Amino acid sequence: MATRAQVLELLKQGHSYETAARELGIPAGQAFMVATGLSADSSETPSPEEISSLPELPASPQQLVNSAQFNPTRKPHVEEWVRRRAARELKGDA
Amino acid sequence: MSPLPSPSDWPLLRQLRGEDRLGRGAAVKSAATQALRPRTAEADRVVKSVCPYCAVGCAQNLYVKDDKVVQIEGDPDAPHSRGRLCPKGSATLQLTTGDSRERHVLYRRPYGTDWERLDLETAMDMVADKFVQARAEGWECESEGKPTRRCMSIAALGGATLDNEENYLIKKFLTAAGVIQIENQARVCHSSTVVGLGTSFGRGASSTLPGDLQNSDLIVLEGSNMAEAHPVAYQWITEAKARGATVIHVDPHYSRTSALADMFVPLRAGTDIAFLGGVINHVISTESDFREYVLAYTNAPTIVGEEFEDVGADGLFSGFDPEKRGYDPKSWQYEDALVAAAAGQRDQEADIAALTGGEDAKGAEQARGMPKLDPTLQHPRCVWQILKRHYAQYTPEMVERVCGVPRDVFAKVCRLFVENSGRERTTAFVHGVGWTQHTIGSQYIRAASILQLLLGNMGRPGGGVMAMRGHASIQGSSDIPTLFDTLPGYIPMPNAHRHEDLDTYIAASSAKRGFWGNMRDYMVSLLKAWWGASATAENDFCFEYLPRLTGSHGTYQTVMEQVKGTVKGYFLFGQNPAVGSANNRMQRLGMSKLDWLVVRDFSLIESATWWKDGPEIESGEMRTEDIATEVFFFPAAAHIEKEGTFTNTQRMLQWHHKGQDPQADQRSDLWFIYHLGKRIRERLAGSTEKRDRPVLDLTWDYPTEGEHAEPSADAVLAEVSGWNAEGKLLSGYTELKSDGSTSCGCWIYSGCYADGVNQTARRKPWREQNWTGSEWAWAWPANRRILYNRASADPDGKPWSERKALVWWDEEKREWTGHDTPDFEADKPPDYRPPEDAEGPAAIAGNTPFIMQADQRGWLFAPAGVADGPMPTHYEPQDSPVPNTVYPERQRNPAREVFQHEENRYHPDPDEPGGQVYPIVVTTYRLTEHFTAGGMSRWTPYLAELQPEFFCEVSPELAVERGLEHAGWATLISARGCVEARVMVTDRMTPLQIEGRTVHQIGMPYHWGPNGYAKGDSMNELSSMSLDPSSHIQEVKALSVEILPGRRPRGAARRELVREYRERAGITAETGMAP
Repeated sequence: MATRAQVLELLKQGHSYETAARELGIPAGQAFMVATGLSADSSETPSPEEISSLPELPASPQQLVNSAQFNPTRKPHVEEWVRRRAARELKGDA
Repeated sequence: MSPLPSPSDWPLLRQLRGEDRLGRGAAVKSAATQALRPRTAEADRVVKSVCPYCAVGCAQNLYVKDDKVVQIEGDPDAPHSRGRLCPKGSATLQLTTGDSRERHVLYRRPYGTDWERLDLETAMDMVADKFVQARAEGWECESEGKPTRRCMSIAALGGATLDNEENYLIKKFLTAAGVIQIENQARVCHSSTVVGLGTSFGRGASSTLPGDLQNSDLIVLEGSNMAEAHPVAYQWITEAKARGATVIHVDPHYSRTSALADMFVPLRAGTDIAFLGGVINHVISTESDFREYVLAYTNAPTIVGEEFEDVGADGLFSGFDPEKRGYDPKSWQYEDALVAAAAGQRDQEADIAALTGGEDAKGAEQARGMPKLDPTLQHPRCVWQILKRHYAQYTPEMVERVCGVPRDVFAKVCRLFVENSGRERTTAFVHGVGWTQHTIGSQYIRAASILQLLLGNMGRPGGGVMAMRGHASIQGSSDIPTLFDTLPGYIPMPNAHRHEDLDTYIAASSAKRGFWGNMRDYMVSLLKAWWGASATAENDFCFEYLPRLTGSHGTYQTVMEQVKGTVKGYFLFGQNPAVGSANNRMQRLGMSKLDWLVVRDFSLIESATWWKDGPEIESGEMRTEDIATEVFFFPAAAHIEKEGTFTNTQRMLQWHHKGQDPQADQRSDLWFIYHLGKRIRERLAGSTEKRDRPVLDLTWDYPTEGEHAEPSADAVLAEVSGWNAEGKLLSGYTELKSDGSTSCGCWIYSGCYADGVNQTARRKPWREQNWTGSEWAWAWPANRRILYNRASADPDGKPWSERKALVWWDEEKREWTGHDTPDFEADKPPDYRPPEDAEGPAAIAGNTPFIMQADQRGWLFAPAGVADGPMPTHYEPQDSPVPNTVYPERQRNPAREVFQHEENRYHPDPDEPGGQVYPIVVTTYRLTEHFTAGGMSRWTPYLAELQPEFFCEVSPELAVERGLEHAGWATLISARGCVEARVMVTDRMTPLQIEGRTVHQIGMPYHWGPNGYAKGDSMNELSSMSLDPSSHIQEVKALSVEILPGRRPRGAARRELVREYRERAGITAETGMAP
């Protein structure tokens, strides 16, 4: 099992949790838990005091353990539909 | 069959043979346990979604494997919920993927005794045929000589649990079809919040977000049990406490919110205006107000016309007409100026213009002037002096007599308000439906608004009025309203008698100054979105296609129209009035008179099955075989099976993606209304009837997706957001034009699809942004998170204090900047002063933060907009066992709306004969584990098991007095009905000393009905239809009953008991009806 010191050392060297975990042969979420004591899916919400004693936390630790996120924000066929409607209804095109 | 385990697999041997001999780790796991993996780890993708229950809108992760949702958890990146879910949110996997949901269309034929299966296509065709027929038969061309172009034979109820896109299409199609009786839970829950906040500040929505409560120094929760009703949002109050804030809970009922507060103040249900009036009196009489703020940003210095008369002993303001049971608000206006309200009664100006000599609403244009100010606040008719006189009688002694709050407790509350307001400190109010559901509910919200203005708490970090809404999109269903009186973006529906054409309508309904001055831009862009190429300048952009109102057509008026037989067809979209609306018996009676009823829900709620198993069937008053109503039940898709947005309680639109397909006949409401609309249009195609043009010309060609031809919710949201002639999706409402060159379905949502990006789907983690979370989803208006935030700076644009800085003027860059998007024109300097003839936004000075108001000031005194007076005034609830001590000659709100019907009788005045037959006060509330009328919780096993039975909370003193036993049964009786409930004897209910007598209160949740896993009587069998006149909301937070030990009678004896008590009280048709 990787130790906290090992993970912290790799982070200090500029590794991300993903690459540090790869180096140590463990899952990224496990590397995060070893280093911080917190689960990467954020089951706990540490207090500001606890956070200040931890290594810098990634913005979204859940991405270390979760499958790919599905959250598209653009739909080209909708934009095309908008252009057609605008042309027909606001410009008077057929 | 699996082979027997080898002896070497026995846990103890395995433990002793391995490295973990003490059994503290892996040795205790069996092979089967070792093989288990969390469902979250097995998922092949994580789909971003939103909880479908309350309006906190907790972000959810849907864990999807092989196109099936296998787990639902909170999304820890969300700034507002931070990964937390309450018991209901945690049960959403069971709600959506459990086996309680119906999967097939069900049909009950006229006089039928049971359900039958019907295929979906046939059912859709039948409903389309019935719609077309009912519409043709019930079409009304005019009323009292004025064109109305509407259909009074069809009505709809529901929308607060739907997506914005679904509400938009429902409102769009039904309005085009001439249907005006469109309502949803927003009427029943928070319509009075819209009036109260809208008239006071300019917008009828919560001014702040729960996450900003962490910046408060004092939080006053009143009319809200936030810890139980909105537990995830309550984390921000806990955070505030950790930072040193004080928390006060004022409520008739001790709850977990009270337990977590620093101070609990029990008061009598229905007396909050007296309580708040007392605090207002304290602030004014001790001059503890934030004077610079008050002078600069409120209408305290504005002079009111000479005609205005405050309430006297008769409890009436000037202008009351007893015949009409309402006020003519002319005398409330400012001296030599006429202002329109930003919410509530929007076109009072037109009435006034007519009264002052203008022939029509255009007269209002000429009548508008500039309000006169007295910055010394000494003029006897300035708002400050009027307010001071009005609240002078709301003394601590009066508060004690009316509310039952001891003077020393009240004094402490007043002290805390004052100590925690001003330049360096801020106080926030949090309210829920405990304030809204009263016959004077809008004025409850006004009272809090007045106090926040006096103390300078609006628009500032840790300040504001936080309205806690209770449904996933109840804010959205107000903004894009499935409500009778508004169009999207709080644009008023036109009135038959005043709005013949677009010009007249705009003149009567808009303000000359401020952003409502641009109402024509918003309206024309809406008409273009709905009628596209058919809407031209020559035909007033199809303004005449809009059906006209002739008064209130709210849900309770609709019930009366059902009872009369006017309404033939009724749609229920995820709403259960047979449990959730006041006076359940009237709801069922109304539905029994319909020709057809369409119910769209997850399960067979009481509103779908009353013809078969309702209380009137059990009592023998109705026979199933005699009921003609044809009933269609369509199973609805759940939030995980469709895309769209919910707007949460902080005005934030959050997109939820689809995680899996719905099964069998389950469909979204978007699918239902779109395909129903298509069928109706096919049936009307080729019609030469004028009434059919709005339906046929309607833009109704959305792209569809998937095997069910699901209309694209993205396309609908893009239409809502708006585009220009080049097809560019607009960045905001300031780009809208009145010449027909822009299209926008809801001006306040303009920009939510800016640049072709679905802004509502943004999910930037909270660790990467400040506490306002402005890059998570999108909030209206213009992604501003704290409204009126210009008021966080002084008139010169500098923060009132560094500790409470939010936005400020950057002189170097010549722009407003700060922690939030400024709720102000970004480049308008504080020293800008408009020319006298300026209009619209150009008339907004650089030092006035309330940009939606006609005079850009917060309204301490409402010269327009509120139907029952310019200042909140204490009246007793419709049914109260206590006389009105403040105005002894006026027991109840004189302008309230009441309905005279045999099944909706009211209780006598408390000092009349029979006035003490119903001597106990009842208040109602939500439980953490249940949801409104139960449709999304009583069929969910986890939740049903957590709260299995209807109960009432009574004090030990009342239990002794009435012989009630803990865990035994009680029967509660009102003039409308009687119910039974389990008894919980608890000191959470405090008997109060009022005028030398003990007043007992009972607390009751309202989620139960006879269907589902957790069954029980419905509290609303007891309540009456009596309404606030400004918002048409019902009074269910304070009523009166009698309570007896034991179970209620069965069969016909149940009604007999109600009748016996009515007789004992001497109740007649006139009882409780006097203004």
